[in-house]
Amino acid sequence: MNVLVRRTIGLASLSSLSALAVLGLAVAPPDRVQGDAQRLMYLHVPAAWVAYVAFGVTSLASALYLWRRTRHARWDRIATASAELGVLFTALTIALGALWGRPVLGVWWAWDARLVTTLVLLFLYVGYLALRNVPGSREVRARRSAIAALVAFVDVPVVHFSVVWWRTLHQQPTVLNPELNPQIEGVMATTLLVGVVAFTALYVSLLTSRYELARAEDDAQVGALDDAVARRRAAGIHTLTEVGA
Amino acid sequence: MKLRRARALVPIAVLAVAIGGLLVGGLTRNVVYFRTVSEAVDTRLDDGEDRLRVAGAVVPGSVRTAAGDVVFDLTDGQATVRVHHHGDPPELFDDGAPVVSEGRWTGTQFTSDRLMIKHGSEYEAPTVDAAAAGDDS
Repeated sequence: MNVLVRRTIGLASLSSLSALAVLGLAVAPPDRVQGDAQRLMYLHVPAAWVAYVAFGVTSLASALYLWRRTRHARWDRIATASAELGVLFTALTIALGALWGRPVLGVWWAWDARLVTTLVLLFLYVGYLALRNVPGSREVRARRSAIAALVAFVDVPVVHFSVVWWRTLHQQPTVLNPELNPQIEGVMATTLLVGVVAFTALYVSLLTSRYELARAEDDAQVGALDDAVARRRAAGIHTLTEVGA
Repeated sequence: MKLRRARALVPIAVLAVAIGGLLVGGLTRNVVYFRTVSEAVDTRLDDGEDRLRVAGAVVPGSVRTAAGDVVFDLTDGQATVRVHHHGDPPELFDDGAPVVSEGRWTGTQFTSDRLMIKHGSEYEAPTVDAAAAGDDS
């Protein structure tokens, strides 16, 4: 990817995260009920949003890889890179939720439907990453993982709707609730929006870097094979299996 | 090659067991994370010594503290139950607070060892105290 584009995205995430810090810590008012502890929302909610987006991207890329007409190694690379970020942001969501939950809810953790399904989501995509390392040809591993990613994605809507479908300790959605009536306004809503934008920019920035790394790794592997073939030719061996004299 | 494959499958097997355990454990008993006061009162005799969670609002004026315990009334607007909680209540515990109490029945009263606040989904700025903001005239 163009260096200028990468730098622009990097700069955008840095500046929006800075804006979020100022808004979230100083400009936004403390919550009427929760006080300053509520400011963790400006990190926890955007992190969860990015996790959903990341796994969505993984699923889309996986589908594109599986469909013969669009099959290309780039989709496999994107799927992996995005899944890694999804796992990172899911873990971050859980950790931030625990920090926020302790003062506000009174507990670090509860085995309710929202928290359990989120933990399951984390394990599913860690499993996806583990599955990628099970031996097999490049194509077999890619196809296997693509199917696994699509299966794992089923949990994403379950996580989101868990607070609506079942009785949970975790609150119902403030913005994306069934009545589509956001229960947050003013500076708090603006700060939350900035948070979502900032975290998304950060995700895109990390995704492009991770993708470039994956492509460089793949190129290096191909390059290593070309070098090995060239060396053998130079030594007078013209097959890949014959041992030198 | 076979050993490598077997070793690579171990973390997957562990995760599969963990996921299965979470789904079975988490989505059977805890699907209904708590009962309302009315529901809990209805099933009190069936529950016996079982642990359960009851949710309601703290009845204003009912909170009494004594020797590391808190006693208060919990209501859902229809039924009310007296709760004995051992230990300190959470930070946001107050008159009218939405509380989930975990424990078991002792007769017609509820003995609790864990209190959680069930925060709703609204977020609002603090209200300005009108009297403090106005002029003294």
